[in-house]
Amino acid sequence: MNIFLSNQVLIFLFSETVLYLLALIAFVGTLQILKLWDFQATTPRQYALEKRAFLIVTMIQLILWFKILLLPYFAYTIDKLSLLIPGAMCGAGVIAANPYGNPLLLLKILLLFGIGIWLIVDREDQKAPDYPFFKTKFRFYLLLFVLLTTEYILDIVYFSHISTSDVVQCCSAIFGISGSNRIPFNLNTTSLVAIFYLLYLLTVLLALQRRPWLLFIVSLLFLYFGYQSVVHFFGTYIYQLPTHKCPFCMLQKEYWYVGYLLWSLLFGGVFFGIANAALSVMIHKTSLRLYRLAILFNTFFVILCTAYVLFYLIQNGVWL
Amino acid sequence: MIEVKNLTKIFNEGSEATFHALKNISFTIRDNELVLLKGVSGSGKSTLLAIIASLLKPSSGDVVVEGRHVAKLPDLHASKFRATTIGFIFQSFNLLDHLSVSENIAVPLIPMKLPKTELIRRVEHAMELANISHKRDTTAKNLSGGEKQRCAIARALVNTPKVILCDEPTANLDLDNAHAFVEVIRRLKQEGYTILIATHDTIFDTLQEVDRTIAIENGEILQ
Repeated sequence: MNIFLSNQVLIFLFSETVLYLLALIAFVGTLQILKLWDFQATTPRQYALEKRAFLIVTMIQLILWFKILLLPYFAYTIDKLSLLIPGAMCGAGVIAANPYGNPLLLLKILLLFGIGIWLIVDREDQKAPDYPFFKTKFRFYLLLFVLLTTEYILDIVYFSHISTSDVVQCCSAIFGISGSNRIPFNLNTTSLVAIFYLLYLLTVLLALQRRPWLLFIVSLLFLYFGYQSVVHFFGTYIYQLPTHKCPFCMLQKEYWYVGYLLWSLLFGGVFFGIANAALSVMIHKTSLRLYRLAILFNTFFVILCTAYVLFYLIQNGVWL
Repeated sequence: MIEVKNLTKIFNEGSEATFHALKNISFTIRDNELVLLKGVSGSGKSTLLAIIASLLKPSSGDVVVEGRHVAKLPDLHASKFRATTIGFIFQSFNLLDHLSVSENIAVPLIPMKLPKTELIRRVEHAMELANISHKRDTTAKNLSGGEKQRCAIARALVNTPKVILCDEPTANLDLDNAHAFVEVIRRLKQEGYTILIATHDTIFDTLQEVDRTIAIENGEILQ
């Protein structure tokens, strides 16, 4: 069977194509605006540019919000493809079906953070009457467009190189005891979980102290150790099986789709944690609200992870 | 103060229906001036008022009202500017028929989220200025033309604007009500407002408080 006959893949690629075409139009408009923009001028060209800029900004907003929505849909798509690909039990096998899957997933997460930063800069720009961050946000869009182009190419290459006849590895082979994704730095589970909680406390502390750069570094560490902790420890309580280690199976119905919530909270918390450092470089401003959101998202993430462990312990009286 | 500099407005630019509504217009209105903008229908008066009120963007040129370059304001800020600086009195009143006079007048204050006592105080003051207090509970649809106009005046005044713009304010009024409107304008001038009235009604010609008249024809100011 051709992978392009899957409904989810067709919808996903069609959406990506439409968004990419809009992004391309916005890119051309952005180049014109950056070249000709002179806010002090009262010429017909400048007034026409201001009108066009409004349109371009609206287009970029639309594209970026849809890109955010498309990430969980991408996860849903690859999860559904596991039914078509021999050997795959969940999205883990599908993502590892060729060498393009993991770089694509990483790029999508990176883009998500970039998109979030752009939307915040845009919001700050629109708060003022004189477009103070206008050129900054359009220059940043040029970088985003390069990433969007790379992502679109990778989307096509990735899906077109998925074979429905070759057997892929399932998640237990990839993340299990025999797999290559062991706990990093030779840590044991206890140390990993201790680092996880320690980093969480540090993110809260640094957010309360409003230290953007330290929070940036700790948030990235929290992303890495949060991911590892979910795969190697908390995930086993979600699956209620000590040998089941997978970041993708929790996206399935059997686990109440909790993976979507769990990963959204982690990515959200990390994004809000790193956003202030990026904003301080780009627009020389930080936002108290972002610090608060970082605390909120990280706290809900930690509560959700911990709740699975505690409920298992209360119900069964033993640790996994 | 209102400064209009080299203002041009072209509608349907680049098409066969291109229309030059305003052609390189410049003038200044100082604080507390009462200025009449006179011209026949289609001469560009309403377009000029709409640009000064930041309801419309020019094709070129600049408009500075109370130190703000209103033609350059993004839409969100243009709305805030209108809410705080401009009182606009329309020819067709634009009242909400199902609301009472006091409710109509209070509408522009809703986004400001004022305390209720302050909101009531401002509405009362505006009704008093426009001489419509006695109709406070009457719904707009039950008002006469003159009363509707006074309600519209009160609504334009309630946000304590610095500038009042009137677009053909007496066009829908009979002679008595037009005279009553002129009286209200006289009072507003004494209160210190800057007023620009676009009209072709001769009733304002006898108003002694008028500081200047700007004549406009085919989008150009006549010297």
